Amino acid sequence: MEQLRMSLRLKQEVMDTEACTRCGLCVGLCPYIKTMNERIAFIHDCSREDGNCYQVCPRTPTDWATLDQAVFGEARTDQVLGNYAQILYARSLDRGTGESGQYGGVVSALAAFMVESGESEAAVVTRGEESGPPTPVVARTREEILAASGSKYSASPTLSALNEGVRQGLNNLTVIGRPCQVLGLRKMQSLTGVSEHNLSARQVNFTIGLFCFWSLDTKVYSLFEQKTEGKAVRKIDIPQNFVVLTTDAGEVQIPVDEVREYIRPTCLRCFDPTAEFADVAVGSTEHDPQWNTLIVRTAKGKEVVERAVAEGRLEIKDYPAARLPLLLTAVNNKKQRVVDGMARGEAGYEYLILNSASFAAAGRED
Amino acid sequence: MSFLSLLVNEPGRQVLMSGNEAITRGAIEAGLSYAASYPGSPTAEIVTNLGRLAKTHELYAEWSVNEKVAIEEAAGASFTGLRSLCVVKHNGLNVALDSLVSISIGGVKAGMVLVVGDDPAAHSSTNEEDSRLISKVAHLPILEPSTPEEAKQMTLAAYTLSERVQLPVTLRCVTRLSHGSGNVTLSLIQPANKKPVFKKEDRFVTHVAFHQAQEIKLAKIREAADTLPFNTYTGPEDAKTIIIASGPSSLYALEAVQALGLAGEVGVLKLGITWPLPEKFLLKHMKHAEKVIFIEEIEPFNEENVMALAAQHMTDIYPIQFFGQHSGHVAGPKGPGLGEMDPDIVKRSIARVMDTGVAEAEAAVATTNAVSAAGVPSAGIPEREMAFCAGCPHRASFWAMKSALALDGRNGVVLGDIGCYSLALRRTGWSLPQTMHAMGSGAGIANGLGKLDMFGFNQPVIAVVGDSTFFHATIPALINARYTSSNFMLVVLDNETTAMTGHQPHPGLNKNAMGEDVQGIAMEDVVRGLNIPVSIHDPYDVKGTVETVYKLLQSEGAKVLILRRVCALLAAKAETRPRVYVNQDQCIGDDCGCNRFCSTTFSCPATIWDPKKGKAVIDEVVCNRCQVCVSLCPQGAIKVEGGDQVAR
Repeated sequence: MEQLRMSLRLKQEVMDTEACTRCGLCVGLCPYIKTMNERIAFIHDCSREDGNCYQVCPRTPTDWATLDQAVFGEARTDQVLGNYAQILYARSLDRGTGESGQYGGVVSALAAFMVESGESEAAVVTRGEESGPPTPVVARTREEILAASGSKYSASPTLSALNEGVRQGLNNLTVIGRPCQVLGLRKMQSLTGVSEHNLSARQVNFTIGLFCFWSLDTKVYSLFEQKTEGKAVRKIDIPQNFVVLTTDAGEVQIPVDEVREYIRPTCLRCFDPTAEFADVAVGSTEHDPQWNTLIVRTAKGKEVVERAVAEGRLEIKDYPAARLPLLLTAVNNKKQRVVDGMARGEAGYEYLILNSASFAAAGRED
Repeated sequence: MSFLSLLVNEPGRQVLMSGNEAITRGAIEAGLSYAASYPGSPTAEIVTNLGRLAKTHELYAEWSVNEKVAIEEAAGASFTGLRSLCVVKHNGLNVALDSLVSISIGGVKAGMVLVVGDDPAAHSSTNEEDSRLISKVAHLPILEPSTPEEAKQMTLAAYTLSERVQLPVTLRCVTRLSHGSGNVTLSLIQPANKKPVFKKEDRFVTHVAFHQAQEIKLAKIREAADTLPFNTYTGPEDAKTIIIASGPSSLYALEAVQALGLAGEVGVLKLGITWPLPEKFLLKHMKHAEKVIFIEEIEPFNEENVMALAAQHMTDIYPIQFFGQHSGHVAGPKGPGLGEMDPDIVKRSIARVMDTGVAEAEAAVATTNAVSAAGVPSAGIPEREMAFCAGCPHRASFWAMKSALALDGRNGVVLGDIGCYSLALRRTGWSLPQTMHAMGSGAGIANGLGKLDMFGFNQPVIAVVGDSTFFHATIPALINARYTSSNFMLVVLDNETTAMTGHQPHPGLNKNAMGEDVQGIAMEDVVRGLNIPVSIHDPYDVKGTVETVYKLLQSEGAKVLILRRVCALLAAKAETRPRVYVNQDQCIGDDCGCNRFCSTTFSCPATIWDPKKGKAVIDEVVCNRCQVCVSLCPQGAIKVEGGDQVAR
């Protein structure tokens, strides 16, 4: 069978089908893939037979079990949450991160800790804007990291900034990313037999994954602009059934049902809402706004969290036993929907290579 | 020839001149006062030179906004008694056609000559078109020079003829005549009326009532046509085969007849005036001929007119057979009426008619080719691709538009136009434009596409024009867009000159054809005056241009983006040029994911691939120092040092 060039396959299998997660990892690896307004496009056919772009994409075929081995050196122990060492409640003790950060401010605190301690030269982050989509940024200082704190709900191609930072000569970077972005990074880190050039993920020494159940198309910003009557948006949150936009004039609430039409279809085919391959994964507790859920996954994650706690940057406590089933149910339901879609033979799941060790259908619990 | 010899007033002296220079000289000798033109190849050099001669020869020369205005101006000067000249190319005559037809009906006063440059094979045009058909529609006499000497003489004769019948007279040139050179004998520069008066009793009006007068004028010229010295016959007075040709084709015919050894049996009748026909002269020679072969370029103009004449006089000239484009005997490699004539095509064509001469024709062609090959080292000369010049701002503009459209993702349509940027249809412009027609047509088509939303059409539309085209033919389309609320973006590729035809000034600039300082019109002011939003960006800032184009594509309604950066060939004349080079340590060759972006994709002729090192290098002789590649190299391997660096 004649194989298409990898670059063209990326276009046809991922971009043309809208499977692209907008992770940004292929942007800037070459002069042919660019991004604007959270859309990633092929500008021109590069004519290369090979293509790291195809191999690192989170929406090209990925064997979950192989990646478990690559990242954790062992098979999966938890088929719902992925491998982890600890699951905790955590919050920042770093003054400053608590105010602008989402809930416990753990993400900003850990990123700032990595940069300030010198372990990372910079952090690749996503900075919110007063209106419109956020901006991928290489944050070299604590101030730049704090300026980017707070959740964003559209699919910013953050990793394009990683490629840019590495091109500028930065090494040892912390990346804060969505699960799809972490997946792409891990695929790139485990590539073998390719030119070492441009493998930006190999310069990443810490990944902070963000819980993510879906992201919104940038068209939602027009809705926000309309709802806030053009006021600058300082913070966005989706605590329960409302999108809450904080402006200088107060809060504007939009029922979640009004933004559902903006959910990117590719997010509905995502099998990884909790950033299973990150060093640590952080999300809301869905319960206590003073704290975050912190899943410590890798040995590296454990070591960094322990040091941050020891140096008074982070406070941790046990995950409330009563809350764990709720998290498991939410994640399991999302995974089950994906597995059901695959079982029905629907399009868009070709990228997922799962075996029974990756996910044992537990049935959906509503 | 140097430009200065145009100034010499030494009757009888012979000077080597191009056809365009000979026409310029002819107009000067005829006492020309007023010249107006829009630049177009192959005749652009005429008004360029007249502009330089304006002061010494007490004349006015102008690059007009377009050909319609140019022809109207020349008519105006003629109405006041000043000899005038209008110079256009074939497409330009189309632009001027409406006025031309009307001016012809109303008549002129002082001699008015219309020089039309046709471009068989379209060496520097989008199409090949036979403008003689247009002149015929407008009832104008047509003179066709075959040599520079004849071009000068015909220019003088055209003024006399024009004044005799008070019609403008067409001097039809082709590229080989305009650009080829030959000896021209200078005549006295005539003293001329330089005192314009629009007399109270004079009227120049288009009305059907004057159609009759127009036909009478043509009939007078038909009478005079037989006496013109430009119609010649070479060959036996009883030749059974004659060739009828005009312009440089008549020279090819003479050469072919010689080469084929047919001088003793085939005559060559050269028409100097091709409309109206010198009927008596033609009938005289058709009477002794049994075979007539027509050699001419583009359309079978002479062929059809002469055949019509022959049909009318068939009883006198029978038996006779006609060979040409219609019979299929006279044809270049692409077929009858396609491309230029040359001596080899003519030899083969004659051979086809003469039946027995095919082998002789091939032998003659081979001999000629061997002779020319001996003097020309053709082997080893690489083919040159039709491509944007090194450093051309249009390359950056098209890459930015291509990028923005891909990012937009709605299958945006780019509508092209005529100018240097028509090269974008080729590989190095990534074939981005999907249409190209006449000047300003892209903007008109955009008006149409921009109103299709009611049918569900949602592809964004970009029309591209140049700065000179903006003034020439785009403003009405913008007015229309504003009036109809059409939805498209007009991109003006403003390189601050009329680059394709040789860097002539246009109304947006502060110089005129005579080199005087004038106040140019800022096109952004024109657009603002129409209440259409306008943005200006430097295309050398590719990233910023992509963002600007993208942003504008997201907005509704008509909008204009001016991508302004002076033509690289003008910029290259700057004295402090920086050096642009590839740092050989930083270029990682094929290890880079770029797949030789600079030399293969962006395809600047100055960026080349060194196969020995496996790295990119810049040919510093070719490089025009635009420095765009510096910002596009993914490795940052292209460096610039010294000189005037482009701010980024």
